[in-house]
Amino acid sequence: MIASRFLVSSLVVIALAGCTTPPRNPVSTAALAVLASEAGLHEKARACQELGVFGGPESVAALAKLLDHEVLADYARSGLEGITDPSAGKALRQALGTVEGRNLAGVVNSLGVRRERAALPELQALALDPKRGVSAEAMASLGMIGSVEAMKTLQQILKGDSASQRVSAAHAALVAAERLAQSRNLAAARDLLNEVIHAIPAGHLTAVAQRQLDSLKAGSK
Amino acid sequence: MKFTRRQFLKGTAVVLGMPTIIPASALGMNGTVAPSNRIVLGGIGIGPRGREDLSAFLKQPDVQFVMIADVQSVRQEVVRVMVNRRYNNQDCAKTREMFDVLGRPDIDAVLIATGDHWHALATILSVKAGKDVYCEKPCSMTIRESQELADAVNRYGRVFQAGTQRRNVDNFRFAAELARSGRLGKIHTVHASILPLEESHEWLTGEPEPGVDKVDWDRWLGPSPWRPYHRDYVQGRWRGYYDFHGGAALPEWGAHTVDLCQWAASADNTTPVEFEAEGQTIHARYANGVKLVMRLAGFKGEGNWVVPGTCPVRFEGDEGWVEAADTGKIAVSSPRLLEGGAPKESAGTDPTEHVREFLDCVKSRAKPAANADVTRRGHIVSHAASIGWRLGRKVQFDPVTESFVNDADANRMCSRARRAPWHV
Repeated sequence: MIASRFLVSSLVVIALAGCTTPPRNPVSTAALAVLASEAGLHEKARACQELGVFGGPESVAALAKLLDHEVLADYARSGLEGITDPSAGKALRQALGTVEGRNLAGVVNSLGVRRERAALPELQALALDPKRGVSAEAMASLGMIGSVEAMKTLQQILKGDSASQRVSAAHAALVAAERLAQSRNLAAARDLLNEVIHAIPAGHLTAVAQRQLDSLKAGSK
Repeated sequence: MKFTRRQFLKGTAVVLGMPTIIPASALGMNGTVAPSNRIVLGGIGIGPRGREDLSAFLKQPDVQFVMIADVQSVRQEVVRVMVNRRYNNQDCAKTREMFDVLGRPDIDAVLIATGDHWHALATILSVKAGKDVYCEKPCSMTIRESQELADAVNRYGRVFQAGTQRRNVDNFRFAAELARSGRLGKIHTVHASILPLEESHEWLTGEPEPGVDKVDWDRWLGPSPWRPYHRDYVQGRWRGYYDFHGGAALPEWGAHTVDLCQWAASADNTTPVEFEAEGQTIHARYANGVKLVMRLAGFKGEGNWVVPGTCPVRFEGDEGWVEAADTGKIAVSSPRLLEGGAPKESAGTDPTEHVREFLDCVKSRAKPAANADVTRRGHIVSHAASIGWRLGRKVQFDPVTESFVNDADANRMCSRARRAPWHV
């Protein structure tokens, strides 16, 4: 099996590296050795993916270093998205201040996937600042986090002047409303959906919001 | 040009005063369908398999295909010519940019037949744009994508049909009904054929990119991580590569056969609770004790299937069994099971009835046979089985939370990061 194949190659690497402390996970140790080496892009890309499954907190620093890499940044995020330890979320959050462009969009997306509440202030700022170029991604991440604080930022954008920003906020709000309803905060979910209905011209999106609102009302009876 | 209300009324008066000549075809006479009853269709990523689907759509009198988006110019042109020949006009538009299709308010529905790595994301972007979707299978790369796809379809209230057309092919449908109706007795085991499990992490040696006007490599990759361009990938030989082919190839046939087993076992709303690989065979068990066995396909004679052909399935109860495959044939444990009429033989690859059902549902807003919810669970079963195979040990699965029980490694295999800037 693949896992056992991982294991054999990992043990060889560990032996070669003269590792004296017991490894937390042999696959992770082998992958970290690859990242620290002069290996090529392909090998490093694969190492990042392996760390996404088998890596722990010891892998975070090596992956975080790659978040501004032209090619490996996406692979590094695949590693960090998978590591459940809070240090992975912290590394992504710190990268918000150092990476730009497409890589910044990726970091914002990963924070949403991980539902990193600690990153709320940064995500809120990015959502409200279209000049950084990732406001749509930041809104989507706020939607996935789906807290009351995230909701407030989406509401603020829904009240704003930019039609395209309002549409992005509306899509995010639909997700956030589901999250709020799941956490039994029905009043907040209703407020958010009403905001969508008022902010967007009648059509597909408002119909979706209205249907969601109706189902919340039906569910609360 | 901007019309004033006065100009509009003046023009209307002139029109009302003239004799009205409306072509019969526009009214839906002469065997044609009136424009108001037509479903306007666009296509996203249509290669050889997509063209089989498209042929089925073009046969339908109430479909008007108007635009193809494909990142390969050659494929755009092949589809454009195919469509224009069918309609005997030059009206089909082509574009590299799928958002051109999604941005057209006249398009009601889209046919998505990209590579697998795009299926879920393209579906989600389409339903966000208010389109109904017919999407080729497998529809997801991971368990998380299976969930995201179904959640988005339900959130936006769109009609979705996975291209798992065997739900609408007679011999498969007949076999599933035998199982579901109790005529086989109590179902205890269902068998799904799968392809050999494989997962390559290799990169082909890079070639110069042909240029975005011929092949937009960046867009072809989409949410998958970057690797150097090679023509093999874009010419359909992307299967087997981890980054483009989810679930170690298990969902490739599993999208059909596991889905049919779920249906036959009346398990569309659940999943097995346990998976264990034994070589290339994976044994799964539902909470009610029914077994699901995923084993090699029968088209080369492997697996001792009674009915030869691709995508065989077998359903066993305590009073009998049935087997069906793509040859259109069916085998049963007793001739009495065919009393009342055996199904007609039809090939399992013909999507015509499946396409027709989708179109009917677009009009009625009903859920088709391969809707997003059954697709979610069927695909999750295939992905969960492949994760068990990758880990090489028994894994427990919770059908309610759709996650592995006390198994962090397995749970971390349920999703993959998307390449920036793609997100749902």
